[in-house]
Amino acid sequence: MATLQINGQTLDIGTIDPSTPLLWVLRDTLGLVGTKYGCGIAQCGACTVHLNGEPVRSCQIPVGNLSSEQITTIEGLAGADGTLTKIQQAWIDEDVPQCGYCQAGQIMSATALLRKNPNPSDADIDAAMSGNLCRCATYTRIRRAIKVAAGQQTATAFYDAAAAQGERA
Amino acid sequence: MNMKTTLPPELPSFFHDIVAGETAPLSTDVNRRSFLKLTGLVGGGLVLGGFGAMSSRKAYAQQAAADVSTLSAYVQIKPDGRITLFSKNPECGQGIKTGLPLIIAEELDCAWSDVDVVQADVDAAKYGANQFAGGSLSTPMNWMGMRQAGATARAMILAAAAKQLKLPLAELTTADTKVLHAASNRSWSYGDFAELAATMPVPEVASLTLKDPSQFKLLGRRWTGVDNHGIVTGKPLFGADSRMDGMLYATFTKSPQIAGKAVVFNEAHIKSLPGVVDAFIVEPFLDARFFSANSGTHFGGVAIVAENTWAAIKAKRELQVEWDTSTAESATWDDLVERAKALADKDGEPLMVNVGPPGPNAQRAPAARGDVDAAFTSAAKVISAFYEYPYVSHAQLEPETTTAVFKDGKIEIWAPAQIPQGGEAGAAVVAGVTPENSTLHMTRIGGGFGRKLANDYVFEAAAIAKRMEGRPVKLQWTREDDMMHDFFRPGGFHAYKAALDADGKLVAFQDHFMSHTGNGQGPMTSADLSANVFPMDVVPNLKITQTLFQNGIPTGPMRAPGSNALAFSFQSFMHELAVASGKDHVQFMLETLGGEGPAENPQGMHKGRAANVIRAAAEMAGWGKEMPKGRALGLSFYFCHSGYVAQVADVEVFANKDVKVHKVYAAADFGFIHNLSAAENQLEGGIVDGLSQLFNAKITFNNGVIQQQNFHQYPLLRMPQTPALETKFLQPAEFSPTGAGEPSMPPLLAAVANAIFNATGERIRKMPLSELGYRLV
Repeated sequence: MATLQINGQTLDIGTIDPSTPLLWVLRDTLGLVGTKYGCGIAQCGACTVHLNGEPVRSCQIPVGNLSSEQITTIEGLAGADGTLTKIQQAWIDEDVPQCGYCQAGQIMSATALLRKNPNPSDADIDAAMSGNLCRCATYTRIRRAIKVAAGQQTATAFYDAAAAQGERA
Repeated sequence: MNMKTTLPPELPSFFHDIVAGETAPLSTDVNRRSFLKLTGLVGGGLVLGGFGAMSSRKAYAQQAAADVSTLSAYVQIKPDGRITLFSKNPECGQGIKTGLPLIIAEELDCAWSDVDVVQADVDAAKYGANQFAGGSLSTPMNWMGMRQAGATARAMILAAAAKQLKLPLAELTTADTKVLHAASNRSWSYGDFAELAATMPVPEVASLTLKDPSQFKLLGRRWTGVDNHGIVTGKPLFGADSRMDGMLYATFTKSPQIAGKAVVFNEAHIKSLPGVVDAFIVEPFLDARFFSANSGTHFGGVAIVAENTWAAIKAKRELQVEWDTSTAESATWDDLVERAKALADKDGEPLMVNVGPPGPNAQRAPAARGDVDAAFTSAAKVISAFYEYPYVSHAQLEPETTTAVFKDGKIEIWAPAQIPQGGEAGAAVVAGVTPENSTLHMTRIGGGFGRKLANDYVFEAAAIAKRMEGRPVKLQWTREDDMMHDFFRPGGFHAYKAALDADGKLVAFQDHFMSHTGNGQGPMTSADLSANVFPMDVVPNLKITQTLFQNGIPTGPMRAPGSNALAFSFQSFMHELAVASGKDHVQFMLETLGGEGPAENPQGMHKGRAANVIRAAAEMAGWGKEMPKGRALGLSFYFCHSGYVAQVADVEVFANKDVKVHKVYAAADFGFIHNLSAAENQLEGGIVDGLSQLFNAKITFNNGVIQQQNFHQYPLLRMPQTPALETKFLQPAEFSPTGAGEPSMPPLLAAVANAIFNATGERIRKMPLSELGYRLV
């Protein structure tokens, strides 16, 4: 029986082919489907998770290489009481998602960026986010949401109770 | 009010087929008793959908707790006043899951904070046949229907309140989910009347009072998406996220040479691999080369079913298949390019276009007007140019996936599908069940762009589920499957020739359009040319001819089908003509438009709306201002999907052909904008999508085998290359909403290409620009 340290919990993953990428262990074995499959070759970033706080492409990490590393997925960002991180809240408030499929990966990359560099320049943002594709091309709003979360920019004035609605969902 | 949706003629014919006759006014002549008898519902349930109302094979009401009052297929109310609104069309990133309920909520006169939104069932009887996401139609084809749905529910609540309170109906009003009685200064929650409201007669459409737009409280503002919270917390919203007890996982492998058939494969070896549960050949169903949403059409191939996705993918890598390629495709892109160039100086066959309304019974005639030959002879200037653009792939980020279970003679499916009714119907055919025994549940779509208008992956999942009877199976395509088995945006070629008179006025326009046919009879889907492409629609002398190359590489609609390529070549050539005329580009465009009046037919271009967006974009960008050396503005305009967009790109070209697009200014007229945030997202996304295609997107094929397999060979634009964007929506009051998703993209292509010419003097006549040595930085 193997275990992984995921979102602050020790999770049993049973007997598993050690070559299985972390991505599929998360999605199929553990049901943590927020982490997405997009390309399987570390080109798109949809599968981004944190490994000891560093953003990594989970499609490239065989589960057999993991033991005690702390893994964080999109499901593990919010507080136990559901309190969203500033990044998550900015993503909602700036209405970043279009289809939304890439956004878990985007948020994981942005979260790692702000943790290391709370006041990033545009160049810092470019560098940290260039591994994440958004086919809907919401890059302008992703950048804005990062700046809002970093306190560099005020939130767009949305006429909005939809954020509250989301919390009820 | 006229509910008839006027479809833009450039839409592929299957949209016209779906919508034909399906957008009648909402019928409310439903006999309530027969309805209750039919469904056996207690406590409410009433259909407003009206499109074929009583023939539903499912319960009209969505599942609801006993105390929930169902006023219609769109509206449920709880005793505490909380309102559930059902969103009927698929959400693929266009924002419609938020947008349609917003329209209902406006006329229902409820507070948006009191609303929960639920994705509706797939059900033509309840929601009409136009329950699809395509053609930028989700908003326009539902705009009036959703308003009427909201107003109907409001009227029923008011009637119930009058009866329950024993007050005259005329003394009651509504606001923010409350019934108000001004005379006594009292108010009540909608919830207080919900149960009685569900028993009230459904008012006639003609009796409804819709709000004047000046009374709108919700519409016209910025609203965030109802699924945003779920997206940022990783909730299972998407097709790929379906999970079920005992679920198996499948891959499907098709012939690398398009339309090859699996004969035999290394079955014993594959079945011996760890985690593999089954492996088998799925026979082809009809001919999937030809785009079809609902017939069950799919290519055959080899299915591998395993205990998890990785086991299925690993086994797929060891798969060895003998393919019968005797009827497979054998086209090679480079050969087509050579053939097209050889034909550049010749005419093709007359291009036949619709005359009058499009649709299955459209009258067709050659796209010709006046006498081009005489015009060329007497012209002051004649300009010719040859344009080329490639096949491209949708590359939506969620690869094709569907979960299906075949049990007790029924097939049940969870799929990200842009035409879910077609998926449901075709899956019944594939699974060999009657339509009543096929049910498809819409999931959020992880990017569509037209790829998921085809249901081939849904049909594959149905075939696999049938074989694995009793076990749910999730089919997961790999990215390589996706890129090699797309219904591609077809490449094409245009040999243009145009004449200017002594005043620099465009007097003749000729195009020899070269594209593709799979059956020798007509062009492949999205490989056609409609008559409303500017300036075809305004020039006095016109001759369009066509050559179709035999080439059945599958094609389908991709964001702004047709327009996504035509806008590049037509509007780059228009700039060539402007330069030749010696006039300013804006001036030349406005003169060529030749007026400000409405179009002669309802699908046509309103010249005034076109002129207004051109002027607005030019003004936003400071058109005519001094620019540093190597840097210039470029303009383009395009009309499609009933939307008008002009864009001006501010572009710098460096000596090594690196290109920096500093900023793009866009002015759009999509009529009234009911959710500014969603519309802006579509416009911004379309611009960046266009840049990605302009610089890098190219699919090639050798002997029918697609040569690109993943993003390292098919690069998409990334954040550092994204320009600054400035967008503006002109919202002429007299025009109701049209869609934003598709018309936002096409103008970008020529705007940047024209800016490169203005900066360097080098004319761009080929996409992608990477093949000309340019690199977007």
